[in-house]
Amino acid sequence: MELFLQFCINGLMLGMMYALVAVGFTLFFGVLDVIVFSHGDTVMLASFTGLGMYRLLEFFHPGLGAGWVVFWVLAAAVAVVAVLGMLTARFIIMPLRGAPALNTLLATMMFGTALREAVRLFFPDGSNPKPFPRLLPDWSAQFGTLNLRFDNLVLFLTGALIIVLVHLLITRTKLGMAVRASAQDAEAAQLMGVNFRLIVLVTFALGSAAAAFAGVMNGLYYNEINFNLGLMLGAIGFSAAVIGGLGNIYGAICGGFIFAFLQTAGVAAMPFASAYKDVFAFGVVIVMMALRPTGLIAEQSSRRV
Amino acid sequence: MFQPLRIEHLSVAYGNARVLHDVSMEIPPRRITCLLGANGAGKTTLIRAVVGLTPPREGSITFDGIEISKLPPHRTAALGIACIPEGRRIFPKMSVQENLLMGAYLERSKSKVRASLEKVYNLFPRLAERREQAAGTMSGGEQAMVSIGRGLMHEPRLMIVDEPSLGLSPALVNDNFRIIRAVLEAGTAVFLVEQNVRQTLAVSSYGYVLAQGRVTACGTADELKNDPQVQKAYFG
Repeated sequence: MELFLQFCINGLMLGMMYALVAVGFTLFFGVLDVIVFSHGDTVMLASFTGLGMYRLLEFFHPGLGAGWVVFWVLAAAVAVVAVLGMLTARFIIMPLRGAPALNTLLATMMFGTALREAVRLFFPDGSNPKPFPRLLPDWSAQFGTLNLRFDNLVLFLTGALIIVLVHLLITRTKLGMAVRASAQDAEAAQLMGVNFRLIVLVTFALGSAAAAFAGVMNGLYYNEINFNLGLMLGAIGFSAAVIGGLGNIYGAICGGFIFAFLQTAGVAAMPFASAYKDVFAFGVVIVMMALRPTGLIAEQSSRRV
Repeated sequence: MFQPLRIEHLSVAYGNARVLHDVSMEIPPRRITCLLGANGAGKTTLIRAVVGLTPPREGSITFDGIEISKLPPHRTAALGIACIPEGRRIFPKMSVQENLLMGAYLERSKSKVRASLEKVYNLFPRLAERREQAAGTMSGGEQAMVSIGRGLMHEPRLMIVDEPSLGLSPALVNDNFRIIRAVLEAGTAVFLVEQNVRQTLAVSSYGYVLAQGRVTACGTADELKNDPQVQKAYFG
């Protein structure tokens, strides 16, 4: 029983991280019909920005309170990555709007590689894994063999809060209404007075900010980051968005948790083969795609009646 | 009162394919001006150029004395040009009410938005009944109401209506014409693109005929009704 709960907790933590990444994929696809393959590396950049900020603070403000350190690490990661997202949209994706989707796909893939290489080459000793500081208090509660960590709880609740905020922004505000309208019919939205370019930038800032949380969360959860962590998180986030139904935010969130469930279920069911958990999870994703090509919540098929 | 929409020597091309050649027109306020023409004559392209979706290659378009031919659509919308686009183009996954609210996207005053909403619901009681329904799940006629209602939400100065009766039953077409006439009372200029020539000429005061990207005839509605070319093409 305790082992089961432990698996659940791990699954929920991973699921939250994946959901945060998948939300970006699905938002970008909804508004611009493109897959932004550099999105995973955006997550990686957020981790490294957080680490860089931590080192700067350590150097210039050694006595700063832990709460402030967390705040600044997060703020730096979110700000840098949100701006990067907007620049990507403005200078890579928008200019390629008239071109075949394949070009955008390639361009973003190459941009992701450039980001990865830039971190590897320019971050001090960037090609080796970096320890990520434990910024949250390491309190934990022990229930039998079940270990409940306070920092995990904080990470999970923060992630949930971000997703709820993104959801409220999209469903309840005028800005969100403009984002949804642009996703459903960009030209009609423009005729209503929506500044489409601005909406694209806002969407990319929003999706990238969610990814920034995933990046910092990733560092805090594993206490280690690596220049190529975005490859795996990108592939997982993309899969999560696809199995949920590209373009649908709920789908992306469900997809993230489903993928994490598959991974942890893979480990739980076959403890002797835990190294194959990703093989198992991606294999199931392939089967799911074959059975339900539109994803759990079909967005595209009903787009234009 | 504002100055009319003036289109002068407009040419539009997609790549090398020239769609409009040297088109000039004037759409004055408080009148219905209609645009007639067969499929493929360039009517929708002309509309797209006016609202800013397809920037013209040559020529000028001015509205109320402002050059708008290079403005993006959200800027022309801000000048008071509303468009009920061809094919209705409602937001299928949004509720009827949200669709209407999108029509008032540029209106800041909440009380004005509420008043417009009230007005549109009075005009189309059917929409009031279905305000929470996803617009994409409604019938074609109801979707046309959403599209027209959405266009009325912002009290436009120029209302462009592109084929509102396409695929609708005669009763609904009559409804549409009744509403288009009602729009005029607010002093709006109406630019009506329609296939239904008889009914269009009956409500319009002036009209242009477009064929293969050129204006081939223009005149008052009566003149056009008696124009041999129009007679031959449309009244057979």
